Amino acid sequence: MALKKSGSKYDIFTKIALVLVVAIIFFLIVLPLINILIFSTQPTGSVIVRNALSDEVTRQILWNTMKMGLSVAFLGTLLGFLMAYTQARVDFKGKKILHIINLIPIISPPFAFATAIIVLFGRSGIITRGIFDWRPTLYGYPGLVLVLSLSFFPIAYMNLLGMLRSLDPALDEAGSSLGANKLRVFRTVTLPLLIPGFAGSFLLLFIESIADLANPLIIGGSYTVLASRAYMAINGDYDIPMAAGYSFLLLLPALLVFLVQRYWAQRKNVVSVTGKPSGRSTPVTSPIARFFLLSVTFLLTTLILMVYATVLLGAFVRIIGVENSFTLEHFRFLLGGFANAAVKTTTILALIATPLAGIFGMLIAWLVIRKVRRGGEALDFLGMLGIAVPGTVIGIGYAITYNDPVKVAGVTIFPQVAGGAAILGGAIAIVMVYVIRSSPAGQRSGISLLQQIDPSIEEASASLGAAGGRTFRLVTLPLISGAFLSGLMYAFAHSMTTLSPIIFLVTPDISILTQKILAEADQGRYGNVFALCCMLIVLIMIIGGLINLLVRRFQVSTDRPLVTGR
Amino acid sequence: MTKKRTVAVGIVATLIISLMAAIAPAHAARDLKGSQCGREGLVRTIKGVTYTCERVSGKLQYAEGRKLSGTLNVLCTPQELWCVEMTKAFQEKTGITTKFIRLSSGESLTRLIASKGNPEFDVWTGGPNDSHISGRIQGVLDTYKSPTRNMLKAQFKDSDGYWTGIYMGALGFCSNKNELKRLGLKAPTSWNDLLNPKYKGNIMMAHPGTSGTAYTTLWSQVLRLGSEDAAIDYMKELNKNILSYTRSGAGPTGPLGRGEIATGLVFSHDCTAAILRGNPLVVSFPKEGTGFEIGGIALVKGAKNPDAAKAYIDFALSAEAQNIGPAKAESFQILTNPSARYDRRMVNLKKVTLLNYEAEAAGVAAAKLKARFDKEVALTSSAK
Repeated sequence: MALKKSGSKYDIFTKIALVLVVAIIFFLIVLPLINILIFSTQPTGSVIVRNALSDEVTRQILWNTMKMGLSVAFLGTLLGFLMAYTQARVDFKGKKILHIINLIPIISPPFAFATAIIVLFGRSGIITRGIFDWRPTLYGYPGLVLVLSLSFFPIAYMNLLGMLRSLDPALDEAGSSLGANKLRVFRTVTLPLLIPGFAGSFLLLFIESIADLANPLIIGGSYTVLASRAYMAINGDYDIPMAAGYSFLLLLPALLVFLVQRYWAQRKNVVSVTGKPSGRSTPVTSPIARFFLLSVTFLLTTLILMVYATVLLGAFVRIIGVENSFTLEHFRFLLGGFANAAVKTTTILALIATPLAGIFGMLIAWLVIRKVRRGGEALDFLGMLGIAVPGTVIGIGYAITYNDPVKVAGVTIFPQVAGGAAILGGAIAIVMVYVIRSSPAGQRSGISLLQQIDPSIEEASASLGAAGGRTFRLVTLPLISGAFLSGLMYAFAHSMTTLSPIIFLVTPDISILTQKILAEADQGRYGNVFALCCMLIVLIMIIGGLINLLVRRFQVSTDRPLVTGR
Repeated sequence: MTKKRTVAVGIVATLIISLMAAIAPAHAARDLKGSQCGREGLVRTIKGVTYTCERVSGKLQYAEGRKLSGTLNVLCTPQELWCVEMTKAFQEKTGITTKFIRLSSGESLTRLIASKGNPEFDVWTGGPNDSHISGRIQGVLDTYKSPTRNMLKAQFKDSDGYWTGIYMGALGFCSNKNELKRLGLKAPTSWNDLLNPKYKGNIMMAHPGTSGTAYTTLWSQVLRLGSEDAAIDYMKELNKNILSYTRSGAGPTGPLGRGEIATGLVFSHDCTAAILRGNPLVVSFPKEGTGFEIGGIALVKGAKNPDAAKAYIDFALSAEAQNIGPAKAESFQILTNPSARYDRRMVNLKKVTLLNYEAEAAGVAAAKLKARFDKEVALTSSAK
């Protein structure tokens, strides 16, 4: 059952929005990608693609990547769902704190989780060796899956929590008044309604995990995945066509999973009326269910807290686990000139990119679900490219494309924006990367939410005479404001903590915090790594909190009942 | 009447003097080229002109001065702290705004190649010189023969002038004392010690693809065993004991410090720096001979500020600049300028057997050898 699209022809606002969105997508991701694909057709690149399945090594890397991605997507979505369900449907003290703790991993800088996990649970781990005298090797698949699931489950959590809260409790009540017990209601009413959320989370988590570069570098060990192989191809073999070949291979799993998700989600399309619940949903009371949910919650929360305690402690002792004397030397070093410029620059650039990314994501979501009939799927996919393509490849793509002005038939259609010789010292390219890398999350949650909302509300607005732009601003945006806010928060946190594309775009004028963290992790100076992570986390919390306050003032209150039943 | 006249005379006199001052030629800064200077290699900026002291026919005199302007962009490969200190020192000395970014040798080369059409850097400093040789092959470097290079030994300079050596480091074993004790081992003193099954999962080194350190390790095997095939075979054996390959040469020092592994293959100066930070480590060298790196500095082709770049190269080769390493930047590489101070924390090369490391051959063989390593050693381990 296809969703009815509102509007019989495109009005001015829609047309402008469409042109703008397409142009932005073209310059921010499509053009660099085209250049990468062109490079991959050159000899060393095409060899990789053609022999992808026949060459033993490449096939193994492909398999490693898929296995890791699917595991993280599954585990992360499961954890996210359990936490979201507990938050939404179980009564217990400390909900607010739990909510915040669940969101903290989003603002986790690269290497923070990986290094903390190694320090706690590694071969010389404080917990594993210190208490249990185990020496597990976390390098490789186990460590990667653990760290990536912990890092990304909040995405699933936020997605599913938003959906759970928008579910109309009247449907549950209808189910139980027809004689179904709670488990049956859960199975046949709640779960199907959440399918878009599951699918969306699974997709996002899969793509984020296979595109991640920072963790495979630190904790991946010999478990080579496509992202780290592409990185090696560029940095080790100086072979851009080869790296382009690997990135082409990386696109294929992403594409595959994306298409599967769309097919699956569309088969079970259930509109839950207005998106505004009437009355409270009944909480879970079964003692078994409560015990199960609360224990999982407790364990996961403890784990996350331990990780961050390690990061905090590690910043203030000389060498955590080895020489635990208190010291401020790490902070003194960093703030004494090593990291000052990076702190300022990174924050400013992320702040510029955040609103741009948030609005862009919502705009695409709105166009895809409400406006564009043919080509909506293509637009959706193009918007997601920002995170489907691994960061390393985007970085190289930008360096190739924007280190010189973009010319078509001798006419400059886009100035040079990357590299030390560019406008603003290369800052524009970095903001472009930030935007295109963080808008997909907002787009995804916007789409999930919009799919739940009946277009009749917007049609009502249109039939009352409001132009497209007015409807978008006064009706659609407030309804999806939850998704918009989470999009903004994610955009800021993600921009502050992104690493892989930045390596190729840092210039003498523009230094970025995550690059500084990498430099220190490289040298094994974990004290500085933890101190930098602390600084990053504090920055994100403060500014994220401010963004949160700012946007909440414009949010529609969620306790006014609206029309139900269809 | 007299008062008015005096005032009038005063005004006219002032006007005439001002006029004369305005049209009189500016007092020219004396050109110091050829004049006597105190120490060979010394870089000085006098009245905005930067001079380097060179030795010509036995006499110490200033070479042609350069009036520097604009900004200098440095691509820096060694530890970031060293980059910070060097940049600061050059900027203070010459007054030129100097900026840098730090990238490992593999990344630096890629960055130079990617920006070949519109170079963003003026000079590339640090990193083993085989990567500078690769840079020459890739066409991203230009020649510059600093007056100071005459002070250096032949092995520290490229005959054509594509690179000049600013430091030197010896490859060694860096071991965690506690782990060695637990495993019942002594600090390794031979390459073959590392093949001992007791080391299984207890060794780390960097990946030759990204790290100059690791490539030095790889090339050292070629030198000591006689052929690339023999080297690859050794690495295959060693791979069985290796826990994982890090990205940067000094990367193993982190896990080493924490006691996750027993031994790492790193440059001894990186191990020393880690020890001074409080890690329980010990340095040892293989008796069969070990490889070393010469840190190179090179002029980028098409540099936007070649004058400042050349002055920077002169500066980097001076004793004054090289002393910054051990004094302020926790860097204990051996220095190439014979007048630079030897710090006790630096490796004592008399106690180490060095292999005859031919950087030229290493640089030329790099691409193919690294590819072989990937295919036959590193990636096969994940295929198991």
